[in-house]
This record gives sequence, structure tokens and C-alpha cells, in this order.
Amino acid sequence: MQITVVYRGQKKVLEFEKAKVKSGDILKALDLSKDFAFVIKNGEIVSEDEIIRPRDEVRVINAISGGAF
Amino acid sequence: MRKCIKCGEKAQIYLPQHRLSLCKTHYIEWFENRVEKSIKEFQMFSKKEKILVAVSGGKDSLSLWQALVKLGYDADGFYIDLGIGDYSKKSFNISIAFSEKLDRTLHTVSLEDEVMSIPQIKNYDNRPTCSICGTLKRYYMNKVAKHLGYRVVATGHNLDDESAVLFSNTLNWSVDYLKRQYPVLPEENSFIRKVKPLCKISEKESAMYAVLCGIEYIEEECPFSEGATSIDYKTFLSRLEEKSPGIKLRFYSEFLRKMYPILHIGEEKPHLNRCSICGEPTTGEICSVCNLKNKLKLKAGG
Repeated sequence: MQITVVYRGQKKVLEFEKAKVKSGDILKALDLSKDFAFVIKNGEIVSEDEIIRPRDEVRVINAISGGAF
Repeated sequence: MRKCIKCGEKAQIYLPQHRLSLCKTHYIEWFENRVEKSIKEFQMFSKKEKILVAVSGGKDSLSLWQALVKLGYDADGFYIDLGIGDYSKKSFNISIAFSEKLDRTLHTVSLEDEVMSIPQIKNYDNRPTCSICGTLKRYYMNKVAKHLGYRVVATGHNLDDESAVLFSNTLNWSVDYLKRQYPVLPEENSFIRKVKPLCKISEKESAMYAVLCGIEYIEEECPFSEGATSIDYKTFLSRLEEKSPGIKLRFYSEFLRKMYPILHIGEEKPHLNRCSICGEPTTGEICSVCNLKNKLKLKAGG
């Protein structure tokens, strides 16, 4: 299954082998921890066990930021 | 389905470290209450004082500014244009638009006018960019805030920033830095009071507040921060947090409660001079920014 997500302003197409994709799988595919990243599905922040379908509008937010101490 | 602990509606947010499920409305309320609680706990400022918020266009500074204004604080913004190409242009436009939305003043300073832009300075100084940039930001925040008559500078440093610094300073036993790691630095020796009202709010909590309030912020990272060690420490602490929710908050809060007072027993405060060029506080004769300016003048032959 293919899911298109917007991540840091860019579109990314993610491939999944399983039929049921959850929000947490998207974070894993992008190598992001649920401690600092989250998924917005159709305009709403969702939990890691929310089912995501190909037609959903998905945005991934990575809240971690670097810089000087 | 998780339900909001306050109203029983469907919860959008679950905060494992607080074991809280909240809907959008009650998450926003929770966030603002938590900011207010930190302001009171550390006696950061009152509603009668003029506050200057250091604004970068990122989620933390904009969330902080919005929360302070909503809570009824007298808070204006201060933006430093670092001159980092499109990144700075975009963050400047976002900050201006946000100040208009809040209907609060945004003061600005351009590094290119004052010294040189960050990419230009990088050609002449081989110290890490983040460290030069940090020195310049702190210098102009202090100078401009005093000049404009503000009593306090508030920055958007969050729990992840603070616990990552604490972790780094502890690994290195940087005792002098540990002694200064407190969410309020009082006004003294010509330094304005500096506060961090988001010190007990995680990076994710701050980003979720921004998203739920419809705040448009710059999502890109500064191009110079790539590979910053702070990210390694944050990623490492996140792994611990996933296994033991609340560990970052405990690490930081318990440091403040138990270790910080011990570090200050029998301590004498260092004597500070006024910089002979600009009058800002310094431990030497000339402050680090005037030193940098002199060095850049020599190297640029100007």
C-alpha cells in the first residue's frame, strides 16, 4: 500500500507491505520517535494506532530541533 | 477510543508522561495553564511588567508568545535577522505576519547591519556557527531589551532543550554551566532578567499547541544546525522517554529541586566589568561581541 505524506514541507510516498497501516507505522517508516513526532490525518492530530488509508491527507510533524545549547 | 478527561469528548491528544487524554479545547487550556504555572513557580514576571519575547519564527517562540498574550501578559516580540538566505527571509515573514495576527509589536535587528550576516561571519571565524550565533543573539537581546525599556526577556527554550543541555553539562561535568542552568536568570550587572516559561513543556507539546491553534511556523531547520550534537542528545533522551515516560521531566525538575541549590552553597559571584567599547557586561575588558567585531574588521580589512 502506498501512503503519501507531507513531511517538512515536502511530499513523500511511503510503501507498506501490510494492508492495515497505522499512524505509528508511518512514524517508524520515517525513523521518527513518537516522543517527538506525530501525525495529522485530515487536519486532526491522531494517536499512533489510528488507521491510515491511501486517500487520507497526512502530514507528519517532527518537533525535534537542533542548534546551540 | 480515548476520552478527554475534562469533558468526555473524543480525545485528540494523549500525554503519556502525565497520563492525560485531552480534546483540542482542553489541550490548549492545559498548555496555557502549564505555562502560567511555571511562571508562578519560578516567579518569572508579573502582569505589570513589560516582556520581550525572543521570536525566531519557530514553534516554540510563537507558541510562547501566543500563550503569554492569551494569559494577559504584556508581551511584545523581538526578531534578529541572521541573514541566512531564504531561511531567514521565510522566518522573518512568518514572524511579522504572526505579530500582526496577535496585534503586538515586533522589534527587529539585522545582524548584517550590526555586524555581518551569519554566513559572512562564518568565512572569518571557524568556531561552531551555533556558538557564534548564540553569543550574538544573547548580546542583542540584552542590549535591545534594555534600550527599549523592557524588564524581562522570555525565550522559547523547552523541556527537551533544557534536559539535553543538562545531560551534556552533566556528561562533561561543566559545573559553571550547571550553576547557571535555571529557568530564571535575575537582572544583575547590567544583564536583563531572562526567563524560560516553556521549561516544563516538551518539544512535541509545543508543536501540538502550535498546530491546534493554527499557528503557522517555520518547520525547516536552520541550515547551519545540521549535525548539531544537541540533536544526538535529544534523540538519545527520547529513547529513554519512550521506555519510561516522564524521565526527562524528572531529570530536569529534580535537578532544579535537589542539585541546583547544592551547587550554590558558599558561592561567591564573579565580578563583572563593563565592556570598554559598548558598555555591556563582560568578565574581561572587551566583551565577546566587540572582540568578534574587531576580529572581523581586521580580517575583512575594513
